[in-house]
This record gives sequence, C-alpha cells and structure tokens, in this order.
Amino acid sequence: MTVVPQGGGGVARGGGSSSLYDVLELILDRGLVIDVFVRVSLVGIEILRIDARIVVASVDTYLRFAEACNRLDLEGGKQPSQLTDLVGDTVEKGAHGKSKGALSGAVEAVTDSMKGGGDEDEEEEREEEEQEEREPAARRRRTTSRRPRRSREREEE
Amino acid sequence: MAVYVYSIVGKEHPLRLDDFAGVGDPPSPLRTVTSGSLAAVVSDAPEGLRPKRRDLTAHQEVQTRLMADGAVLPLRFGLTAPDDDAVREALDERATEYADRLGALEGCAEYNLKVKQDEEALLRQILEDSPEARELNDAVRGGTAGPDVSLALGELVAGEVDARHASLAAGVVEALRPFSRDQQTSQPSGEDFLSVSFLVAEEQEELFLATEMSVANQMGEDFEFRLNGPLPPYSFV
Repeated sequence: MTVVPQGGGGVARGGGSSSLYDVLELILDRGLVIDVFVRVSLVGIEILRIDARIVVASVDTYLRFAEACNRLDLEGGKQPSQLTDLVGDTVEKGAHGKSKGALSGAVEAVTDSMKGGGDEDEEEEREEEEQEEREPAARRRRTTSRRPRRSREREEE
Repeated sequence: MAVYVYSIVGKEHPLRLDDFAGVGDPPSPLRTVTSGSLAAVVSDAPEGLRPKRRDLTAHQEVQTRLMADGAVLPLRFGLTAPDDDAVREALDERATEYADRLGALEGCAEYNLKVKQDEEALLRQILEDSPEARELNDAVRGGTAGPDVSLALGELVAGEVDARHASLAAGVVEALRPFSRDQQTSQPSGEDFLSVSFLVAEEQEELFLATEMSVANQMGEDFEFRLNGPLPPYSFV
C-alpha cells in the first residue's frame, strides 16, 4: 500500500479535496467514540449535510420531478402536433445546458465550496453559499455544464 | 491542557509519524499516550477547533499514515480529552475491547462506494416503461392539466425512482458482499442513491476491486460509481 504524505493523503488513489468531500461523512459520523471525551462543535457542517439530503416524499420533490419530466425531449414520443409542444421543445433545447434536474443542487454547492480555497472563513462562505442556494430551491436551474458521467476516484494501475 | 485524540493502535505499532502534524494552525505536534498493550495518538487540542478542511485532512492523514503499518482504530473527528491521564484511563477502561477490535481489523481496510444515476436517463426510462406516467406527462405538457396532475405525475415518478434505486442499490451491495467481511450502508446524500462501506481483507482486495469495476461497467454510462479506499476502517470500529 502506498500512502502519499500530503494533499489527499491516500484518502483515495488520486486523492484531493473532492474525495475528502466523499469521505466527510465517515470522518464526522463514523469512527470510534469514547464517551468520556468531549466533542468540538460541528454546528455549521452538520446543518449543511442535513440540507444536502433529498427528501423524496414531499410536494416540492413531486413538482420538481414533474417539471423534469416535462422538460424531457422524448425521442420516439409524440410528434409535436401542437404549437405548445413546439414551443416547449424550443425552450427545452435552449435551456438544456442549464437544466440540472430535480436531484441536483444543494450537494453540488457543498462540493464546490469544498473544492474552493482553504481560507480561514471557509465555513462562513459555505453557509453563505448554502443560503443563496436555498432560495431558488423549487425552480433551480444550474449553469454548470454537465460533468463527465463517470469519474473514477481511484486510478487503476 | 486538553488533548485531541486521533487513533488507538496496538503498542507494537511502529508509529512512524515524524513528518506528520496534527490539527490546528499552526499544527500541533503529534505524540502518543500509552497504557498496557495500547497506544493513543494525540496532540495538544487547539483552541476553538472547528471542522475546517485543513483539520479534517490532518485527522484523516494521521489515520492513513497509521494504517499503512498496522491495524488502527480511527476516532471520530473532533474528540478531546481533558488531559493525558484521562486518555490513559479511557484506554484502560476498555482495553480488552479495543485490543480485540484491533485484532479483527488487522489486514483490513474500508472501501466506500457511492453511486448515482443520470437523472434524465432514469426519468426517460420511467416514462418509457409506464403508460400512466406518459399520459400524465403529456397532459401537463399539453397545457390543459391543472397543478394536481403535475403533482400526481411527480408522485408517481418519485415512487418509481425510489423503487428502482432501492433495487439497484441492493443489487450492487449483493454483488460485492462476497468479497468483503462486513458492510455498512448509510443514508446517501445529494444525487447518490447508494452509499455503502465495505470492510475488505487484503487477500480479497483484488477480487473486490475487479468486481466493483465489472459491476460499474455492466451498469453502463448512465451511472457514476465513486469508490474511495483503502480507507481507515471508520465504519467498522
């Protein structure tokens, strides 16, 4: 086994802070706990992580899923016989790059901030970003381009 | 002075930590507190420690460094004891338990796997498979349906997403289970539908990795597999 003594520190082969993000839950929520020891306050980070979880059974989620379905360009589907369909398609194509769909959003914001610079105020920055993210939650359109569908955290030899 | 506690290892562990520093800014030097057959890796606890990237990384790097030379019980991030004596007492109190656990983890590492599926592909599939969903979708797109139809569509689709992800998740875990000693699933976050840790013994590592890759390939382009490891066995202490 090789361990790189800096940077990702062998967190994952090909380490980096994105893998730190992926193992964050392990470092914070798993690991041995000794009852008599005191734990430092993790307030900021715990709030972020709870927010990042999807609540599938909620009206908000239903509407976002419905919207995402409406936006789909269904090949082999109905031919656009009505004007509304045509308009719908045009809008959809125009928005394609920005439509990230119902499941995206909060967690990306957290990931992005984890990838950012390591400043003194990173928690505060994250909290601010999270605030910004939260407001347009129901109708979120991300401007990020699609990431590679498959990224391997570890390098095969 | 309060001490920050990183890990528990066996006394025989070489503890090669010379180039490593602990949490805090400036980083606190690492030292050990030993008692009986056990040693705890500690440093002075910095004032006002918070879970910053630098400190999380320091905590993690100590674990990975230690696991390169033997079994380690990684502590959860952020635990402090009032002083060295309190650490010693804590080691004594559960000495047998910790020693047994260290024995069981010898030669094992944790692998954490997270999987997500491209949402558009999944929704497309659901609409293809379900005439009911298609009908509702067409009604909404036609502009004639009220908000209750959107809601019905969303609920139907959400249910399908859930069911499909649950079954896919179970399939992935089952495929890898034979090559691991233990498994721990946790609540996936964000777009992931699966987050699971496996405890993998050295002699099974190759098979585990090969199987993971083959499962990822079989599931295809719409899925993203993120495997992290070998990691300290956070989920199996």
